[in-house]
Amino acid sequence: MLGSIYAMVGVALTLSIGVLKFLNFSIPGLFMVGGMATWALIRAGVPWLLATAAALVVGAALALVVERFTWRWMRNADAFVPLVSSMAFLILFENIAVVVWGSDLRGLPRLFASVDWHVGYLIVSVPQLFCLVGSVALISGLSLLLAKTRIGRALRTIAEDSETALLLGVDVKRLVPLVFVISGLFAALAGILFAINYRQVHPFMGEALGLKAISAMVVGGMGNVWGAIVGGLIIGLAEVLSIQFLGADFVDIAVYGLLLLILVIRPTGLFGGESSMRARA
Amino acid sequence: MSGYIQGILVLLAINIVFAYAAFLPMAAGQLNLGVSGFAAIGGYVSAYISNKSTVSVAVAIPLGGVAAGFIALAVAIPVVRTRGIYLALATFALGQIVQATILNLEEVGGAAGYPVTAFVGFPFVAAFALAVFTFVCLLFATRFGIAITAVHDDEQVADLMGLDVRAFQIAAFTIGAVVAGIGGGLYAHSFNYIEAQYFSISLSITIVLYVLLGGTQSVLGPALGAAVFTLLPELLRGGAQWRYVFFAAILIVVMVVRPQGLVTGAQLRRLIAMARKDRLA
Amino acid sequence: MTAPILQLENVGKHFGGLNVVEGVSFSVRRGCCTGLIGPNGAGKTTIFNLITGLFLVDTGRIFLDQVDITRVPSRHRIRHGVARNFQNIRLMPHLSALENVLVGQHCRNVGILGVLQPVNLFSGNHWREEARAALTDAGLAHYESAAVGRLPYGIQKRVELVRALMARPSLLLLDEPAAGLNPAETDALCDHLEAIRGQGVTLLVVEHDMNFIDALCEEVIVLNFGRKIAEGTPDIIREDPFVREAYFGVEAQTVVRYHAS
Repeated sequence: MLGSIYAMVGVALTLSIGVLKFLNFSIPGLFMVGGMATWALIRAGVPWLLATAAALVVGAALALVVERFTWRWMRNADAFVPLVSSMAFLILFENIAVVVWGSDLRGLPRLFASVDWHVGYLIVSVPQLFCLVGSVALISGLSLLLAKTRIGRALRTIAEDSETALLLGVDVKRLVPLVFVISGLFAALAGILFAINYRQVHPFMGEALGLKAISAMVVGGMGNVWGAIVGGLIIGLAEVLSIQFLGADFVDIAVYGLLLLILVIRPTGLFGGESSMRARA
Repeated sequence: MSGYIQGILVLLAINIVFAYAAFLPMAAGQLNLGVSGFAAIGGYVSAYISNKSTVSVAVAIPLGGVAAGFIALAVAIPVVRTRGIYLALATFALGQIVQATILNLEEVGGAAGYPVTAFVGFPFVAAFALAVFTFVCLLFATRFGIAITAVHDDEQVADLMGLDVRAFQIAAFTIGAVVAGIGGGLYAHSFNYIEAQYFSISLSITIVLYVLLGGTQSVLGPALGAAVFTLLPELLRGGAQWRYVFFAAILIVVMVVRPQGLVTGAQLRRLIAMARKDRLA
Repeated sequence: MTAPILQLENVGKHFGGLNVVEGVSFSVRRGCCTGLIGPNGAGKTTIFNLITGLFLVDTGRIFLDQVDITRVPSRHRIRHGVARNFQNIRLMPHLSALENVLVGQHCRNVGILGVLQPVNLFSGNHWREEARAALTDAGLAHYESAAVGRLPYGIQKRVELVRALMARPSLLLLDEPAAGLNPAETDALCDHLEAIRGQGVTLLVVEHDMNFIDALCEEVIVLNFGRKIAEGTPDIIREDPFVREAYFGVEAQTVVRYHAS
């Protein structure tokens, strides 16, 4: 189930890389904002449905802020500048969260009665199942959108060659913010789902999880939506296996070791094709 | 000098060392997000040596640097082969692996941190920082500096002009790691305590960000960036977290307005040319 | 006749399904100036890229001063004596003109001691002095400390040429050296290249300006669609029916563009 959360964040990142060729480091920050905003609103007494919706709106709004200050101005400057600015946004979000809410781990109340289904050896909790189904549905929806709709085609054109896209009449100026918003929503939603399922949030949760999601995306293949999902599942699996066989302490080493290995041997990931990442320092 | 001011200056000196550790690979066109990992290696190794043996701190710290250098050299060859964003991600994975590994080493305290007995005061730290600064300035005044910048600007042409691009990239990466290790050692012995949690991706990102703020086109940039990062929040008065908020916000704005950073090569060149009176009459 | 300084034997290169260069063989005589012409897309720049090692040949061999450099890695080829300029100027934008020229010296200054030469520290260093003298001789002393990105186009081209010459090549490959220059600058370039030839450097020049080729080159090789279609003196080439066919329509424009000699 954690794999599907990784996958959603991975998809958010992948969308950004696939269409804009830009590794948006602020996405783990939006993940955190989704989760912590949900917690903060629920704590303030807002009903959970409204809280989640509000958290999504906040996520989308912040994604637009990021777009305005990273992509919009710096497309023509050195390629690394948007990457760096997005990192700065991550630091900004994390530390504003610390200033506003403190750096402690915060808990959420149990929102759903723990209804467990017993399927063979697995004990599947309903919320987790919902999370999994929901994320697969959303990702499939996104995939369909990219493949079948006009907007999807326009986005894929931008991914190929943004200047040609402009010449062809694609409204790049409006679509690019859309990409940011969609990836922001996915990231925030992942944060919300995490908050609801695992019932713990803290200002640096984006780092722990978002960075694993980046690993998932790389392993699966940058720029490829289904690759991100497979990558997420692989990372989730690697975590479970390493807890099983190596002990909980070695989880991070296993995951990042896997990432390093893939990068050195096959940087484009398992499913990635020719990658034209421009981001360079 | 009051204790408080001394503390700030010690921090400034250490940040300057970290800045040059990140600057060296960046000047060659590589974004090293594993800087904190090498700093951790240097810090822990030097702390271990000074704790467990009679070796003087002045020797232990450089030894920590050398240890970091060895690890860097060992991984440099496969890692440097990756390029651009893949290199950044590979170094990021590296940093995470180092951090996770240290957390598991009970010999040096694991997650509880590692106390360091020997103490170094401001004069010591300042001397090391000055030594690092002088070293980098001298290094960049040699053909090495020109070669590094050439590799950064145009790998293909540099190669055609006879430069061994890989060798220079590996050299920059390794020397940067040694400097990071020295910074880590200074940190450990100034605060008499070292913990793996400090050497996180956030630290790497922060260091990279203040180097970019200062500007990577000249040797003075990193020091200026470190100075702004360390001193400005003191002037603005605020808690520890506000420092990061200000810094991130400033960086975002600077990247919009002046992406080449505060000190550019052109300005510096003019200053040096005037000082040298190199021109024909 | 002394041995040719450059020899291509049946050189071929393809990208995907496209044969960019196919079965090209020619020699360049030492001390000579040879032109390499052909319509756009004929493969001229690719030949340069193959000679300098940016790409490796798929078939055939390349000999530089009788040494087989076909499999020599690109960074070593400059030490065998071949240097080049680039069609779209490729100077290092973050280095000054002087520093770019210092890069040119690199291949003569290898090893740890070479790398640690303090070329940017004080004026006394002899490599630095050599570079400064070269810029002064080319009339570019004024631009020494300037960041190259801001220099006028014509100046940048000249700096690039000085950089290539710093490697002390025996063979200099020039890719459209006169492109974008006005007639006065073109004449000055011609004189400069004659002087370089006088110092014993062999030139292989790609150009579209036929007057320029006429004035400078003794031999001309013509490529079309990746194959050699003619070679000889400029007069012979001008009359060659295959060449006229290849240039049909282009030739008339070339004559109109520059003043009649």
